[in-house]
Amino acid sequence: MTYASSAPNVRRADEPARPSTSRARRQWTLFARNKGAVLGLIVLTLWAVAAVIAPHITPYDPLQTVDSARSAPSAAHWFGTDRLGRDVLSRVIFGARISLLLGIISVVLGSIVGTFFGLVSGFYGGLTDNIIMRVMDAMLAFPGLLLALIIIATLGPSIQNVMIAVGFATIPQYARLTRGSVLSVRESLYVESARVIGGGNWRIILRHILPNVAAPLIVLSTLQVGNAILVGAGLSFLGLGAQPPTPEWGLMTAEGREVLGKAWWISTFPGLAILSVVMALNLMGDGLRSALDPRLGEK
Amino acid sequence: MLQYIGNRLLQMIPVLFLISLIVFMIMHALPGDPAQLMLAGAESGSVTPERLEELRAQMGLNDPLVVQYGRFISHALRGDLGNSIRLRQPVTQLIAERFGYTLQLSMAGLVVAVVVGMGTGILAALNQNTWIDTLSMVIAYLGVSMPLFWLGLLLILIFSFQLKWLPPAGGSGFKALILPAVTLGFVSAGIISRLTRSSLIETMSEDYIRAARAKGLPQRLLVGRHALKNALIPVVTILGIQFGGMLAGAVVTETVFSRPGLGRLIVSAILWKDYPLVQGIVLFLAVIYLGVNLLVDISYAWIDPRIHYGNSR
Repeated sequence: MTYASSAPNVRRADEPARPSTSRARRQWTLFARNKGAVLGLIVLTLWAVAAVIAPHITPYDPLQTVDSARSAPSAAHWFGTDRLGRDVLSRVIFGARISLLLGIISVVLGSIVGTFFGLVSGFYGGLTDNIIMRVMDAMLAFPGLLLALIIIATLGPSIQNVMIAVGFATIPQYARLTRGSVLSVRESLYVESARVIGGGNWRIILRHILPNVAAPLIVLSTLQVGNAILVGAGLSFLGLGAQPPTPEWGLMTAEGREVLGKAWWISTFPGLAILSVVMALNLMGDGLRSALDPRLGEK
Repeated sequence: MLQYIGNRLLQMIPVLFLISLIVFMIMHALPGDPAQLMLAGAESGSVTPERLEELRAQMGLNDPLVVQYGRFISHALRGDLGNSIRLRQPVTQLIAERFGYTLQLSMAGLVVAVVVGMGTGILAALNQNTWIDTLSMVIAYLGVSMPLFWLGLLLILIFSFQLKWLPPAGGSGFKALILPAVTLGFVSAGIISRLTRSSLIETMSEDYIRAARAKGLPQRLLVGRHALKNALIPVVTILGIQFGGMLAGAVVTETVFSRPGLGRLIVSAILWKDYPLVQGIVLFLAVIYLGVNLLVDISYAWIDPRIHYGNSR
């Protein structure tokens, strides 16, 4: 590794491994100026708070029959009741717990494994890189839902297995993104100086490389949580995820399907909940993208 | 060109090999016993250990995994994906019966996506920063944020139950295809719309467009004859990925609209724990997906003469 090889990256040498306060403030200003992103943040915060304090704000028990079946939305039941007479509003609020948890856990699983492979692949290069990336390519050759379906077929339908399946399906995207970012900083001066003063491989990877590839990973994760919620709800809708009587949005939509003509509200409100959460995450992700990394540009 | 296609076909072999390996490994890493499942589905109460062992031997389940994989691959290459445990028919035959429906739906979905996506994308680009642009952006966001199954149900609610224009379910006839195709195409329409928009805006600022405008070409010809041709190249490249999304989306869409097809078959197969059937369909869909992406790459090279195939790749 010579100085000449790192020449194109010289301008990055003065960039600290951790963003300074002024940079963070500038990024926050950029984010805050984006109306859509702020709206997304607000909607998401509301859902998160609702999920946490669900037992205190729901008017009824989400699992109990509280009125006659399929009563239309009214003052007593804003979102109506389902075919078993359960309050749809209460079930929708409790559903936020499951969907948000599903999105976060599956993305944490997928991002840890995927980022690990990406770091190893990009840092070590050579045969290791080749093998890892070929396997990732093969995984990417499946549409995500199909990959998740294989896992569910193996493990059996349940909400935990949906988290594993959806997480598994996101691994290759993290691996690819991380690898690309690692390649772009691997030859930079600060990595080289860390090596010169005797930093071990993993110390360099974790202390110097990872913080510098974090921005695109954060953006990807925000968008992936939304995607995971969509895929997870889809699997539950198909009967391959959450099982009754769980108040899960996808499952609730499916339960309203047979009585759609007579009781539109049973399917409509859970679907609307999914739409609002996922849209909030997408708006926020795009806002984060332009704030954290202007080079990434618009999608 | 032929050499390029040949190379791409050769490149597909290791990917296909890896896919088959992944599918096989996942399906065989599981604790369930296919022989037991098969007997459980058949005459009840008569599951003796002897009968179970006999069947395991018959299905080759006692052989080492490597041998099983080798047999699976050599059969698959000859077009034999085994038999469905539940339906007791060859997997290939079941796929052949249903694939037509899924293909029809995916193609129709792609048509909706391309027509709506490109249309709104072009409109948005030509009316940049007006309400038309904003509207197309909102639609795009809705497209990527809306659950497919919910959109399908909403459309049924409006067009079948309220307006009574279109049937809510069924697998035959053009009318029964409209709602599923719109449902399936909507997500991709949003993505294609955004891409068309940014690509066309970029192209419109190029020198050759300015030159054509300077010589007095009317806007319609400018866009239609000159700009679109180049602006649509990046759009074509993502069509392969979008088609893959259609195949996956068909799984949900077919369930919503009670249409026969591979998507519904694979969901049933998973619920029945019919592993040969799941394995076969997944492998088949992966091959189709790879094939479509190959076609897209070839057409890409054909549309854009700046791309050189052969040694440079």
